[in-house]
Amino acid sequence: MPREIITIQAGQCGNSIGSQFWQQLCQEHGISQDGNLEDFATEGGDRKDVFFYQSDDTRYIPRAILLDLEPRVLNAIQTGPYKNIYNPENFFIHKSGTGAGNNWAAGYAMAESVQEDVMDMIDREADGSDSLEGFMLLHSIAGGTGSGMGSFLLERLNDRFPKKIIQTYSVFPDTQDSGDVVVHPYNSLLSMRRLTENADSVVVLDNGALSRIAADRLHVQEPSFQQTNQLVSTVMSASTTTLRYPGYMHNDLVGIVASLIPTPRCHFLMTSYTPFTGDNVEQAKTVRKTTVLDVMRRLLQPKNRMVSTNPSRTSCYISILNIIQGEADPTDVHKSLLRIRERQLATFIPWGPASIQVALTRKSPYMPSSHRVSGLMLANHTGIATLFRKIVTLYDRMRKRGAYLQEYKKEAPFADGLGEFDEARQVVMDCVQEYEDAEREDYLTRDVKGGAERAEEDERVR
Amino acid sequence: MPTQDRINIALSQLVENTVPVYAEDDEEAVEERLDEAYAHAYELIENAGDPAVTADVHHAADLIRAKLLRDNATPDKIVRFSQLYSRLLAEPVLQQKWAVLYLLYLLADTEPPRSQPSLAPSSQAGAEQTPKQQREFVVDSPAFNEAFSNAGLLRLPTGEEARGQKTDRPVSRHREKKDKQKEKEGQANGEASSSVASPIPQNWVTYEEAQPHETSLLRDLPFVLQGLSSTNLQFKDSSTLQLPPTLPVPIVGLLHTLAEPCLLYKTLAEFVESEGDGLVGQSFRSALGLELRSYLKLVATLEGHIRRALAMLDDSQPRKGLGQAGVTLKRCVYWTREATMGLRLMSLIVEGSKGKKGGQLISVIHSYSLNHGDPFVVSFAERLLTHVTRPFYDMLRQWIYDGELSDPYLEFFVAEQHDLVDDDRKGGATSVWEDKYKLLKAAVPSILTDQFANKVFLIGKSLNFIRHGCNEGGWVESYSKSASKELRYGDTATLETSIDEAYKATMAQLISLMETKFDLSSHLTALKKYLLLGAGDFIAVLMESLSTTLDRPAATQYRHTLTAQLEHAVRNSNAQFDAPDVLRRLDSRMLELSHGEIGWDVFTLEYKISPPVDVIVTPYGSKQYLKVFNFLWRVKRVEFALGSVWRRSMTGARGVLGAVDDAFGADWKTARCVIAEMVHFVAQLQYYILFEVIESSWTDLQRAMRKEGSTLDDLIGAHAQYLSSITRKGLLGGESADFPGQLHELLKVMLAYKDVVDQLYSTSVAEFTRRQDRSAKIETRTAAGKWGVSENDEESELAGKARKDNAAGPLGAGMSEADIVSTQRVRLRELSEKFKRKVTILLGDLMAQPDPDMKWLAMVMNFNDVYQPQRRKKRTAGAGGNSTVMSERTNVRANREVRDKEKAEATDPARGRQR
Repeated sequence: MPREIITIQAGQCGNSIGSQFWQQLCQEHGISQDGNLEDFATEGGDRKDVFFYQSDDTRYIPRAILLDLEPRVLNAIQTGPYKNIYNPENFFIHKSGTGAGNNWAAGYAMAESVQEDVMDMIDREADGSDSLEGFMLLHSIAGGTGSGMGSFLLERLNDRFPKKIIQTYSVFPDTQDSGDVVVHPYNSLLSMRRLTENADSVVVLDNGALSRIAADRLHVQEPSFQQTNQLVSTVMSASTTTLRYPGYMHNDLVGIVASLIPTPRCHFLMTSYTPFTGDNVEQAKTVRKTTVLDVMRRLLQPKNRMVSTNPSRTSCYISILNIIQGEADPTDVHKSLLRIRERQLATFIPWGPASIQVALTRKSPYMPSSHRVSGLMLANHTGIATLFRKIVTLYDRMRKRGAYLQEYKKEAPFADGLGEFDEARQVVMDCVQEYEDAEREDYLTRDVKGGAERAEEDERVR
Repeated sequence: MPTQDRINIALSQLVENTVPVYAEDDEEAVEERLDEAYAHAYELIENAGDPAVTADVHHAADLIRAKLLRDNATPDKIVRFSQLYSRLLAEPVLQQKWAVLYLLYLLADTEPPRSQPSLAPSSQAGAEQTPKQQREFVVDSPAFNEAFSNAGLLRLPTGEEARGQKTDRPVSRHREKKDKQKEKEGQANGEASSSVASPIPQNWVTYEEAQPHETSLLRDLPFVLQGLSSTNLQFKDSSTLQLPPTLPVPIVGLLHTLAEPCLLYKTLAEFVESEGDGLVGQSFRSALGLELRSYLKLVATLEGHIRRALAMLDDSQPRKGLGQAGVTLKRCVYWTREATMGLRLMSLIVEGSKGKKGGQLISVIHSYSLNHGDPFVVSFAERLLTHVTRPFYDMLRQWIYDGELSDPYLEFFVAEQHDLVDDDRKGGATSVWEDKYKLLKAAVPSILTDQFANKVFLIGKSLNFIRHGCNEGGWVESYSKSASKELRYGDTATLETSIDEAYKATMAQLISLMETKFDLSSHLTALKKYLLLGAGDFIAVLMESLSTTLDRPAATQYRHTLTAQLEHAVRNSNAQFDAPDVLRRLDSRMLELSHGEIGWDVFTLEYKISPPVDVIVTPYGSKQYLKVFNFLWRVKRVEFALGSVWRRSMTGARGVLGAVDDAFGADWKTARCVIAEMVHFVAQLQYYILFEVIESSWTDLQRAMRKEGSTLDDLIGAHAQYLSSITRKGLLGGESADFPGQLHELLKVMLAYKDVVDQLYSTSVAEFTRRQDRSAKIETRTAAGKWGVSENDEESELAGKARKDNAAGPLGAGMSEADIVSTQRVRLRELSEKFKRKVTILLGDLMAQPDPDMKWLAMVMNFNDVYQPQRRKKRTAGAGGNSTVMSERTNVRANREVRDKEKAEATDPARGRQR
């Protein structure tokens, strides 16, 4: 019962992140490009079966399902260096191969049209696991496939596997610079609703922050998707180390997220990772001393967050989990926590106990690292609501103009009108509200209002 | 015989000159007295033996020269003497040149004759001192007083009187002898030294009539010296030598001196003959025997002398012959002097060694060689030690090279323990390493230092352990063959180096055996992995697969199901890659049943430790491991329970619970937040115990184990330290505050809360299904063309509402359900308040701990100051969750202030200013 996790990659972004992620995992576990164990990979202690299963010829096969509505990225994977590790049956490319055209509704509708095939693949993977822990969805919410198909899948997974954990790694659009997807506020908002209602834990990564980090840290002016994706895969592999290298604690997904997410709606996690250097991304060659305190302090710095937020003065952490890899001495952690508390480097919610939790894990013995210690922070921060608000604002602006709505109206989900948009907005605003409530001391005693009442209140506020 | 005539003439002149003539005496009387005196003097001269020196003129000259050399700083006198001496030699007239010189020499020597006792008293002073000294012996004898009174001295006792009293009469043999000698000398030299001669005739009668005669005493002496009774001198018992009652005081004195070696020898001989207790005792006796033999050799020589002297004796002239033969009692005293000292020393040692054996005996002898200024004593003791320590060194060698204790008489300072004390720390079991042998501090001979003895003890113990505990007899044998060396007393440097070598070799071997053959570190790692929950995946699988079984009462647990689940967990986790030997030792079982417990309480994992590793992981240690495991397992179980309820409430929010949000939303919100609080608590607790406590103790243990030159005892100590720091810091010790109890309560509250939340979940699901039924009903009715909601439904709903109002519950539930829900709510609130209260108390207690780590735990549990820690004693009632915002604010503020203060204390001033 290895508490398997099935990874579903949807869309261009999801699949490129995914292929990086699997490459990283293979390297960390000493799995060669054909799926066999490398000769040097003799040091036990890691658990490959969370993310891989072994085929009859004992090759390691990722529990991955690769979905896309257009063939480009998947073809690249199928011809890439790691093409042989995947189960070829787990590739799904929509027959039309046209893609979703950056249209959430198109992606959703196309996914619906092929849902039997896709759900079959998922069922097959799920049946192949002894004790399925949950799903991990990799996608972006700006485009069409990742957001639309991802949203559809979230709904289906929710119905089909009501008791499994659903975690997503969702790449949010750059709210400063719309990039090539003009309609990303629509797509994001619509996806956000599913992320709020149908996922248990969403790791929010935003392209703006990723590019900024890549530019700052790696001294690259225009970081490529390849580079930002590598950041994401690093974060993913770091956040799953406790699952893959079992230790005392946080050996399953629930163990990790239960301490992070107290209430169902507030399940959007932001991440920081340090240090990013040549090991992870080629171009970074900074020389620095990594101590536990240094790492933990950097993790708290906003510039290392992979989400662009504009936290207000009242923003605070609901919870923090620092996953420290490498030669971390517990006594260093001890001192660092004291120091962080003395300096009040992090503010927490006022209504319940919260602190920086630390998970010390091993590093892969097969990946040489120039750092003694590296760290990933998974944090539940109320400041994330500002990102949502921003999306809602952008949406509102576009919606007022009625821009690009025709494309959506053409698709099945909007056949009965644009009510879906309003509902989605409502759900997102509720979530924002919940986060803002969580900053208040009376959070626990505040009335819980139904969606409708909340909407009225919102209207009044406006 | 002209010489004789000359002597006669000289003697008569001497007598005439010295014997006083009283006016009132008639001539006849005077004549008679003169004759008498003459006869006596003559007899004296006749009887006088030669002085015990060779009549060699050169010898006398040498004596004088030596004396001159001694007395004078400058050689002038010696030169002068040499000139005079050569002239003397050249003088043809004088015949008795030696006698002249010797007489002169004796006259010159005014010192008391201490240094040359055999040369007999020669000075007036010496002669006069002697009676005084001897008075002590017979001081209370009436005869003595009488004899030494003026009258007594002036009057010659009658023959009868003298005969009757002579034994008691304190006739000074010295004086007598001196007189005799003087006379003889006078006779020899033809000079009468009137100044020396006593003016009053002595009690000369004594001599011939002394019974027994000195010759017979001399004859007896060799026997007595050997401890045998003789005719005249008899041993009454072992410590008493009876002198014949008829002896004159000087002889008695001499015999007193001579009696000492006799008695000493006798006791020593008895001691040597006696049954020795122990090898060292026996060798001690044999060494004493050797010494006694050399004493006997002396006695034999003495006897030879005496025999020769006695053979030369002319029975008619006993006195003279004795003197000439050169053997007298006095001389015997001198000859036996050194031997007496030896005997005295031996008897002292024997006395001191009474009741001592083995090392202590050696210590006694060694103390003489160590703390004695007299080189004679020191060398004597050293000589003894060489013999005495031989069996000890044999034992030592066997011990440090073979690890065998061959000590039939329990003399070695290492003792085998037979009746073992069952003390608590050992947990009723015994440990071969700890208990088999014992170092007896008292028995360590002083030739070894304590530190050394300890090393020796460890070496032997280790070898023995390697041989018997680890079944590596082969190694021990080859080691003993290759390394064995002769050990002897006296060669301390070699001894030290060889012991050091042996120490290093055995320790290294033992440690490497522990490491390689018995996989000590893999066992310790396994213990950490399985009993201290290091293998999280294994524990998770085990817990998940056991959870349903363990929810049932303890009585329904079966060992085989537990074992099966254990195997299942092993197969499905990384444990499967562990060494088969490790997995074989892993077992699950139930603790002793007690009433009313469920499976969770009695389940335990066990890791079987077999000898010889149990020397390090003692049975007591195993118990500690179990204790820690049970605690961690309980915490883990709570974590598991909270995780499952969290999963239920979260995934439920996506479906069922989301649908009944209007009914139970507030309940769920509170419940989730309380659960989050509990999750936080458990996570911090676990992090603290696992990383702060176990991991850091483990690092210490690893460091201690890797240290160069560590001994098995070091390992045992390090491991014990490891365990104790885990139990103490892991809140299992609870000296001042009852942490185990508090935590147990907290965990219980959390489990109870989880149960109630589960009930709430069921209630919510029930509500959800009812709603679904209803909407399904509405749907079917609508589909059938009827009203969606019938009157019946409304009625029942109204009734429900009415009841609900009474029950003060929210929407929808029926009467009974409303009750259930409200009791659930009450229960949830109670439990969450209880939890908070207990946490604040625990935090207060933790803060009060001196240990910084425990303070740290309190800090991380209350990182953002939501709790107001308080000690249990000054607990105030009503500190619940429903305090007002105001008061909470003030509390927060108060906490901030406290924290600022702490901060000011904690940070160094340079950095502390930041805020």
